Amino acid sequence: MKALIYLVVIVGLVPIQSVFLPHISLWGVKPDLGLVAVCLIGLIAGELDGLLMGLALGWAMSLFSAQDLISAVVLKGAVGFVAGLAGRQVVYLSPVVLVAGLLVVSCLAGLVTPFVLTLSVQQDWWWALRTVVLPQACLDALIGGLIYSIMWSRWNIEQLMSESRM
Amino acid sequence: MRMVNLRVPYSARRGALFLAVILAVGFLLLPGQLQSVFQEVGGPLGWIISWPFQAVAGIHDRIAGIWGRYVALQEVEEENQQLRRELDLLKEQNGQLREASVATERLSALLEFKKQVLPTSVAAQVIGRDTGNWYKTIILNKGASDGLQSDQGVITPAGVVGRVVKTTASTAVVLLVTDPNNAIAGLIQRTRDEGIVEGTTQGQARLKYIPLLSNARPGDHVVTSGLVEGFPRGLPIGTIMRIDKEEEALFQSAEISPEVDPNRVEEVLVIRSPSIPSEGERLGVPKPKP
Repeated sequence: MKALIYLVVIVGLVPIQSVFLPHISLWGVKPDLGLVAVCLIGLIAGELDGLLMGLALGWAMSLFSAQDLISAVVLKGAVGFVAGLAGRQVVYLSPVVLVAGLLVVSCLAGLVTPFVLTLSVQQDWWWALRTVVLPQACLDALIGGLIYSIMWSRWNIEQLMSESRM
Repeated sequence: MRMVNLRVPYSARRGALFLAVILAVGFLLLPGQLQSVFQEVGGPLGWIISWPFQAVAGIHDRIAGIWGRYVALQEVEEENQQLRRELDLLKEQNGQLREASVATERLSALLEFKKQVLPTSVAAQVIGRDTGNWYKTIILNKGASDGLQSDQGVITPAGVVGRVVKTTASTAVVLLVTDPNNAIAGLIQRTRDEGIVEGTTQGQARLKYIPLLSNARPGDHVVTSGLVEGFPRGLPIGTIMRIDKEEEALFQSAEISPEVDPNRVEEVLVIRSPSIPSEGERLGVPKPKP
């Protein structure tokens, strides 16, 4: 069942990210639903699920992007793994903690990306920070917070976390 | 009665986690050439995703259609589309006429060339944009199974859109001419000075390496020079808006406004011709006898 849910997430999320998200972009920057999904899966289901889902989503998303495969796979996998590790340390995961966590994780992933990709000299670190990293981190945190709030209102997250991690 | 425990034991989970981390680290150490192998392996995955992709794109088009026809003003929308088509057509004709004033032989060669190239081009629809924020790309609904491959040029009747950088069986990723990581060999139509057209972070383009003695000026048209694989000579790229000449610099550069607005592109042509004939072949220069 879990594998089926993950497959649906991968197959459904990539087209939504590519077709609909450009319409809700802020200053030309759209949220990274893949990063948000990987973070939530890592937090709820643990580091193994986060890592594997990160690798799979990174791979699927790189097929529809100019970004190279290795950087996409490794970055998403690392985010899922870190989210899983962080989930173990958090006793009570409130939406505020999640939003703050997503903001930090998205910023860190965004700051690493220009170094991993061989971008043009025009796209320096300062350009990346103010035009991509910060707006995307804000949007990721917002979307992640919204999804988590919906999940919070419908399911018992603590129970879901403990069941998924067993 | 004993209960069967179907859960994965903790030690096995740790082992799996260890293996997954090794796999992820191993990815980092892979040489760049092996990426293409994984791209090939990802073909079936891309094919599976392309189905919901096309379905979502269809839903998107339907919503956009309903919005355009019923929510927005119907007549204005239609008139706008008609005018855009006419403008694209006029831009193309204008580019050809300018080329004729520079050299009529080149135009005849270009027309001959177009006859050769256009039958081998593939029409494709734009179904999406890049899944990330680092590159400006569009996703096409045609892929490797339609004969598309990396480095093929992508155009509209108005001019150059970009070039194919990645394909799956049924989709292709096109890096736009406005992306700073894209480089196309360009030519100023009036002065015949060559340079490299790169995108800028502001969503425009820049012609670099123009000779210092060139008398290029704002308003000059930049076309493809045909020196880079994928694009024949003479396709419109953009119009020079400003010339930048720095002191002690070896070259000038020019800011270009692209002919094609990448945010509004809906249908494109992919130039599939495997080999572009040389200037001599197009002009009918006899080949030396062996």
